[in-house]
Amino acid sequence: MQETQLLANGFSAFAATLKRDLLVAFKRRNDLLNPLMFFFIVVSLFPIGITPEREALAEIAVGVLWVCALLASLLSLDNLYRSDFEDGSLELLILSPHSLYFMVLAKILSHWLVSGVPLVLLSPILGYMLALPEEAYPTMIITLILGTPVLSLLGSIGVALTVSLGSRGLILAMIILPMSVPVLIAGTLAVGQAVTGNPVGGHLAIMGAMLAMAVSMAPLASAAALRISIN
Amino acid sequence: MWQWFHRWGSPKWFYDLSGRWLPWLTGALILFLVVGVVWALLFVPQDYQQSYTTRILVVHVAVASTSLAFFPIMAVAGTITLVWKMKMADMVAKTVAPLGAWFSALTLASGSIWGSVMWGTWWEWSDSRLTSMLFQFFLLISVISLRSALNDSETAAKACAVLSIVGCVNVVIIKYSVEWWNTLHQPASALSMNSGSANGPAFWVPTLVMVIAMYLLMAVHVMMATRNEILRRESRSQWVQDLVLAAK
Amino acid sequence: MFERIPFSSFGEFLNMGGYAFNVWTVYLLFVIFLLVNLLGPRRRRKQLMKELERRAVLAERQQPDSSD
Repeated sequence: MQETQLLANGFSAFAATLKRDLLVAFKRRNDLLNPLMFFFIVVSLFPIGITPEREALAEIAVGVLWVCALLASLLSLDNLYRSDFEDGSLELLILSPHSLYFMVLAKILSHWLVSGVPLVLLSPILGYMLALPEEAYPTMIITLILGTPVLSLLGSIGVALTVSLGSRGLILAMIILPMSVPVLIAGTLAVGQAVTGNPVGGHLAIMGAMLAMAVSMAPLASAAALRISIN
Repeated sequence: MWQWFHRWGSPKWFYDLSGRWLPWLTGALILFLVVGVVWALLFVPQDYQQSYTTRILVVHVAVASTSLAFFPIMAVAGTITLVWKMKMADMVAKTVAPLGAWFSALTLASGSIWGSVMWGTWWEWSDSRLTSMLFQFFLLISVISLRSALNDSETAAKACAVLSIVGCVNVVIIKYSVEWWNTLHQPASALSMNSGSANGPAFWVPTLVMVIAMYLLMAVHVMMATRNEILRRESRSQWVQDLVLAAK
Repeated sequence: MFERIPFSSFGEFLNMGGYAFNVWTVYLLFVIFLLVNLLGPRRRRKQLMKELERRAVLAERQQPDSSD
């Protein structure tokens, strides 16, 4: 009985945080648009920097998309806890009787909804511009759907650890980028398999496992890190 | 058992104990180092394929295998810091991280110098061990820079503890995913480090001596650096002031 | 396990079968690594002790003044 009560409380806290964060995000449309534009611009620099040849581009397309998605998500992560930290609402969140795990999870979910999902939606256009082979599109979209939340989850740990620092852009990158290597590998391998016409089920399963692991553990680590940073 | 555990938490106790152990450990370190280096340079036989580059491998393998121990040590120390709030564990974690970065850097350097002979290239992405060592190095650097960025030492201790635990899990995942990545990319020509005949007791006995020397080096360095850290953090306590006045 | 020394002259030892550069660079780096990690903490300890001594002397000098 008590457990169901607790779960219901956790869920209502989750829903309230999610709703609030989404509202805040839509009030600041520029913050929403900037990472997306960054993604677009960086991707379009590659053909200029390397070669406009379609065959050469097709070979690197997946890697470019993934690395740019990684950088774009890194850029937008700053919004995750910063404004809440500055106006003191993060402290209230920690002091509230609800489980921090669910509220952190809600914040991460809202971050993914406003930064990860637009990225996924934009990716077919960029894939086309990079001459990605047709048969790779479904796999690319599925891997991005599975992979970008992992980036948000991992990033949340880094942001939570560094939220109290004045200038933290570089440190945040140093913490998060090496940790994202497994996702990058799984994502590019899966799309590579799809390009060559091989089955991708196993790769997607591994990405799913990474997502499940990140969902269960990253909010715990982020919550611990937030408690540490606030003190 | 618990009393023993709590005694380890006392900086003064650690300072006294390590003061007694250090001469012995340093002596053992010098002994193992001299034996290991002389053995490696003079007596390791010439390999039919690798010639005298097996002498590089003795150092490389010893340093590389020791450098794998750093993240687990930091994760354990971090857990102790978070659960029991033991200051000693954090002091050890703080001194271990830069040493781990040194070990990783030397592993990368010696590996690539060996590779320049065996693979004909200084860097080979298809060797998964070298690649995952690179990312371990990056993660160690991130722990070090997080600590130096956070001013408050208690916050730094806990934040680095969290990052060490996350990093330790991550290093394992990175290791397996890089291996997986390589099996699918099918290295065209590069030899793996397993190949060649750098095995047999004539090779692994001196390597074992070097591995022991490296663990002794770790112990000696960590003890010395932790003693410095104790002096720095406890400089206001009576026993440190007595110690300083006695040494004058 | 105990092989005989495979070199017949000192020059041959230095040459390392033609891999002198690689072998000796690794050992040079190894020595630098050892020196940095063993002498570094020692030097730091000396600095620290000097600093603490200076502070102790200052504190001693100040104490009689404040008791007057």
